[in-house]
Amino acid sequence: MKFDLEWLRQHIDGDTDADTLSEALTHCGFLVETRDPSGQSEIWDVEATTNRPDVMCHRGLAREAALAVGARLKALDTTVEETGEQAENLASVEIQDEDLCSRYVGRVLRGIRLVESPVWLKERLERCGVRPINAVVDATNYVLLETGQPLHAFDLDRLEDRTIVVRRAHKGEVLATLDGEDRKLECDDLVIADRNRPVALAGVMGGADSEIGEETTDVLLESAHFEALSVRRTSRRFGMHTEASHRFERGADPLMAPVAADLAARLISQLTGATVSPGRIDVCPRPWQSKEMTFSVSGVSRFAGLEIAGDEIVRILEALEFRAGRDGDVITCVPPSFRGDIERVADLYEEIIRHIGYDAVPAVLPILRTPPGRRHPNWELVDRGRRAAVACGLTEAVTYAFIDPQVDQRLESWPLCPGPSIPLANPLAETQGTMRRSLIPGLLAAARENLNQGESDIALFEEGRVFSNPEGDCFEEPEYLSVVLAGGGLALPGRDAVDFLELKGVVEALLRDGAFPEVAWQRGGSPWLDEAEGAVLVDGDGGVVGVAGRLGDDEAGRWGFKQAVYVAELRLQAAAVEPPLPRFETLPRFPAVWVDITVEHGAALSYAGLEAAVRELSDQLVTSVSLVGRFTGKALGPDRVRTTLRLVYRHAERSMTQEEVNAAQDVLRAALVERLDVTI
Amino acid sequence: MGAQRLDEVRAAFLADIESAGGDAAAVENIRIRYAGRRSGLLLDLTAALRELPNEEKRDYGRALNELKKLVADRLEAAKSGAHTRQASGPGFDVTLPGLTLPKGAQHPVHLVRQRIEEIFLRMGYDVEDGPEIEDDRHNFEALNIPPDHPARDDQDTFYVSGGRLLRTHTSPVQARVMEQRKPPIRIIVPGKVYRRDSDLRHSPMFHQIEGLLVDEGVTFGNLKATLETFLHALFSEHGVDVRFRPSYFPFTEPSAEVDITCIFCGGSGCGVCSRSGWIEILGSGMVDPRVFEGVGVDADRYTGFAFGLGLDRVAMLLYGIPDLRQLFVGDQRLTRQFA
Repeated sequence: MKFDLEWLRQHIDGDTDADTLSEALTHCGFLVETRDPSGQSEIWDVEATTNRPDVMCHRGLAREAALAVGARLKALDTTVEETGEQAENLASVEIQDEDLCSRYVGRVLRGIRLVESPVWLKERLERCGVRPINAVVDATNYVLLETGQPLHAFDLDRLEDRTIVVRRAHKGEVLATLDGEDRKLECDDLVIADRNRPVALAGVMGGADSEIGEETTDVLLESAHFEALSVRRTSRRFGMHTEASHRFERGADPLMAPVAADLAARLISQLTGATVSPGRIDVCPRPWQSKEMTFSVSGVSRFAGLEIAGDEIVRILEALEFRAGRDGDVITCVPPSFRGDIERVADLYEEIIRHIGYDAVPAVLPILRTPPGRRHPNWELVDRGRRAAVACGLTEAVTYAFIDPQVDQRLESWPLCPGPSIPLANPLAETQGTMRRSLIPGLLAAARENLNQGESDIALFEEGRVFSNPEGDCFEEPEYLSVVLAGGGLALPGRDAVDFLELKGVVEALLRDGAFPEVAWQRGGSPWLDEAEGAVLVDGDGGVVGVAGRLGDDEAGRWGFKQAVYVAELRLQAAAVEPPLPRFETLPRFPAVWVDITVEHGAALSYAGLEAAVRELSDQLVTSVSLVGRFTGKALGPDRVRTTLRLVYRHAERSMTQEEVNAAQDVLRAALVERLDVTI
Repeated sequence: MGAQRLDEVRAAFLADIESAGGDAAAVENIRIRYAGRRSGLLLDLTAALRELPNEEKRDYGRALNELKKLVADRLEAAKSGAHTRQASGPGFDVTLPGLTLPKGAQHPVHLVRQRIEEIFLRMGYDVEDGPEIEDDRHNFEALNIPPDHPARDDQDTFYVSGGRLLRTHTSPVQARVMEQRKPPIRIIVPGKVYRRDSDLRHSPMFHQIEGLLVDEGVTFGNLKATLETFLHALFSEHGVDVRFRPSYFPFTEPSAEVDITCIFCGGSGCGVCSRSGWIEILGSGMVDPRVFEGVGVDADRYTGFAFGLGLDRVAMLLYGIPDLRQLFVGDQRLTRQFA
């Protein structure tokens, strides 16, 4: 909020320099964000937090500043010269809905001339970001900026029966507000009405019909106290944020209404030559009630971690206009009317520590009474995934958790789709309309962005949550780990383009380092993935652990990829919460013997099927079975494959002879031919 | 028979060239073995053409030509690789660039998160976790932010169905932990948060880390010491001063905004710190007794403090990243700087 430095200083006794004032305000909780010179003064932008409506005016901030620099707040002169007929004979006020308006003060001024304000006043308003209009409106704004009390001036002759009625609106009533809009009112909007119709939206904005103008002679000045919640609801519903609503919403000073009315009446009279009619019209159905609070000097000292003197506490409270007294360790105080934020002892502690100064409190580390810290298992899980991905050479992306609903719809067919999607009720953009059910779309967008930037080797991963709403109140957000490889992928030495086996190598490393269960690679994942080069990773119970493969041509086309793009996604919750402890195995003492076997078989027999059969049927001394090569070609005939496997034989207690191995191989050959449709 | 032999030679060649990697000597040996002018295997295969029956000659010849081309291309590719093995000797150049091995990188936000977790783990804090889709109670009400509270304006919220919302801060996890556990409690909570705000300085999704300590006799001085220790460790390379300013948060009382001396100008004033010499880094305060009451912690017996800061902002400060939104497009040129 903007403040005029000279205006602030006018309220503070003595002559404190600007730097001291600024520093002191910052230290007691009102950060002076910027200071800009303006004429003989400075414009200060000061942070006034929502709980402190009392400092959203010059007098309120000056009160804090005065205490902070050790000066006195000057008394306010509220005298006003009155002449003519009694105000209460010229106008009347009636409050029908007392729950929303605790007090309504009216002042009558006669013989108004609508003049321009003097330069000094206009300058002060402008420094605070308020546009000058005419002397009457400017005076009400001036008093608002000085005291925090919103005021409104009605053309008295345009109020039917010269009467103000404070009531809830009737359904269907329409009020043309000063900003030129027609407002359709609801029953819970509080309005200021005359005998017949609403003339202002209470605490928010005046009506156009009762606005003062060139022909105005008599003015009714409103200075009232409206309920915060009601003003807030009305201003929010109409989207009207005004200087008045800003203060009422946060809680105005219930005792300020008569004071501000007097100040404004005097100022208008000075500026326009109008006379102030004697007396205030003051309707106060619910007078403000003070409340007494007690706390102990030792209590606040203990809480702060600093010995604070009882008299110091009383001094601070009194400077903040609390009534305060001390009896030994016990402090009794009554907060002033403008401190609605003071409700509990904790609030008082804050006032005291704030003005003692946070700097004065010695820093002492707390005693450790908890066991050594541990990370939540979910953090261990996701960071283990991250480390595995980084170890593969992948670079981490973090993308938005909301995606385009059109893309999301296509995820219905994604094998790892977690369930029904969660649309946002109020998205920022249509293309960010729903919570993601896969990290793949975000990664594809990132891959494309990187290609557009001229990157040729794309190897990205993301770890994050996907979201689904399986039913009613049940929301799920499992952690996924996903990969995209494009162009040169990991840019492995000697390879120019990424292919399926590079992706598979990455995924196998992630599965291993991530402590995932054993999975079987089964063809699947279409239409997101290519019919041939797509796989679903299934665990022993048939649960889908992951998906991996080449992005299908249709999908690649939608994302604008010209090159092959490979993606994989893993469900991190499928991995073990804690990876098993590694166990040492005795190192072999005798050499191994290896031997190759070449098998010719139909293409329908997958490599995994062949390897499994070889493992099962081979001698128990076989310690490993691995692929040497795989041949296809016309010579073999269509759909025929020739696979060469290498078997390693090893005996724990002695060296093996070639004869032993040959004999074992003969047995294996026979068994394979009998089990599978193969030739050897 | 002839065609089958071609397949075998192709497979063997591919296996050999793969296993040679970039070793120039090995590649040369492979060249001699397959494409050597005197005894290369391709010569044998060419010679075999003559022995074939006429009806097989055409297919065989075409396949043979493909194989020759493959062998020539792959040999060329292997030889021109940047990682050709140099011949040892006086001309050996040790300044040639080394092999580029794949190197991954974590996102700067997660680097910062782990850095902060390490500091607090050493101080005995648990690292907690909670849902990103929250209910109103934990996100607002339990934290002393009832409906119609003006503080809700500052945290424009994304809503989903069933009155649920995307958490606007990590604080709801505090409430959840206090509901489940008895003090003493020492936790930090990192995670994603969401606010309906997008411009140069705001992203609708960002990251926070939150801390909470609840015990008997916790003082405001404890809060100061803890956060000073933390900030000195976090910005250990910069050596910052720490300043506490009174402020307001609905869930703490008293509240303190914590500033560090500007790490760009060292406190003398620059564009980044609006000439003030200070940078706002975190919000903190003593836990409001109302928050304790809302989650069933005895407010007469226990006191505590809480604090929170933006991970993205710390990452930007610590590493000098100028634009928040740059963090969420997956630009690998950015992230690879943190490998």
